Amino acid sequence: MEKKRLLLTIVTPEKTVLSEKPVDAVTIPAFGGEMGVLPGHASFAAQLKEGVMHYRDGHHREIFAVLSGFAEVHHDKVLVLAEAAELSKEVNEERARQAYQKAKESLAIRGADLDLDEANAALRRAAVRMKVAEFKRKHKQ
Amino acid sequence: MASLRDIRKHISSVKSIKQITYAMKMVAAARIKRAQSSILASRPFAVEMDRLIADLYSELGEQDLEGTQASALFSERPAGGPLCLVLVTADKGLCGSFNTNLLKAAAAWLKENRGRKIYALAVGRKGRDFLKRLKGLDMEVVHELVGVFPKAGYVHAQLLADAVLKLYGEQPVESVTLIYNEFKSLLAQRIVTDRLLPLKMHIAQDASAGGRKPGDFIFEPVKAELLGALLPRHIGAQLYRMLLESQAAELAARMSAMEAASKNASELIEDLTLKMNKTRQTMITTELNEIVSGSEALGG
Repeated sequence: MEKKRLLLTIVTPEKTVLSEKPVDAVTIPAFGGEMGVLPGHASFAAQLKEGVMHYRDGHHREIFAVLSGFAEVHHDKVLVLAEAAELSKEVNEERARQAYQKAKESLAIRGADLDLDEANAALRRAAVRMKVAEFKRKHKQ
Repeated sequence: MASLRDIRKHISSVKSIKQITYAMKMVAAARIKRAQSSILASRPFAVEMDRLIADLYSELGEQDLEGTQASALFSERPAGGPLCLVLVTADKGLCGSFNTNLLKAAAAWLKENRGRKIYALAVGRKGRDFLKRLKGLDMEVVHELVGVFPKAGYVHAQLLADAVLKLYGEQPVESVTLIYNEFKSLLAQRIVTDRLLPLKMHIAQDASAGGRKPGDFIFEPVKAELLGALLPRHIGAQLYRMLLESQAAELAARMSAMEAASKNASELIEDLTLKMNKTRQTMITTELNEIVSGSEALGG
């Protein structure tokens, strides 16, 4: 009999990161702590906090950074709704830090009010990326 | 009658205008593809979000909901309180009647609700300027989002959602209305006046026919809290969709407006060229006439 697998779907408002990809195991940064999901897991819905989630597909492991969202497991289908999800290797810590600095500075200057929203948005994005990079570093050690 | 030189000048200026309008059309056409695909890309998230809310809602009893943050977003508020308007316009002009129609709709809405306290949130420079120009209304622009197009992202929608929810929490706002342009097709936009808050019950009830038995799920944290966290995201997703729709509609409007402008410029150039040639020929004829009559007078 074929081994049971999970079908992992990750969607963010801006794109669908993964769609029904068969994997062996998923770890989710749930609100109350990390949560491992294997095939046959009971149905649950959980709130996520920002952190890293990873999945294992055979020997292949992939790490994602997710920013607050929700996860639902039902009948071996894992659905992750995150505000942002990025492959951790796509995150560049140095660039994130620079962007964070820049956004902070432009917020501090508060020149024309036109840029305020953009700067706020950039600040948020950069903060997430930095968190991801931090997690990544910790993960490696 | 205009001299040959004047006509030539006129033609060259019309030509450069045509170049600009044509370039703007091409830019809009290139961007609209991306705008359309981001609308498509945002759909799965919204669909799954709605489903999750419906699942959760079907698991919840009325008593679970009572007094939570989530129920505050669902329940109707007493009439007569202040109103909130979210107006989404473009940042730039040159897109036909896109902004004019929107502002007309907004003005009509404001007229309907004359005499009530209005909190406004403006997205796009045109709408902000319009709201600021208005006099004699009990209106306050509480939040403005300018310069987000044509690269509206989810973060912008989130900022907007935060502002709306903050206002909704602090003030006894009766309802939150959205006015924006919906992207129907490349040739048509439709102005939509929609209610954002209080949330309609049907989003919770819609998909409850999903065939799931209650009690199936484990929740973390407790259901009501989870729903309370989900709903702001749902609002964010809705606002995000609205921004994307408006963005695509703006580009479509600009594309067709600029196409029409280029066409008009071509026609104008044609007319002017004809006029120029006629003037030139008349000049030549007159000159020839003068020469011939001159030589005849000399030769006798």
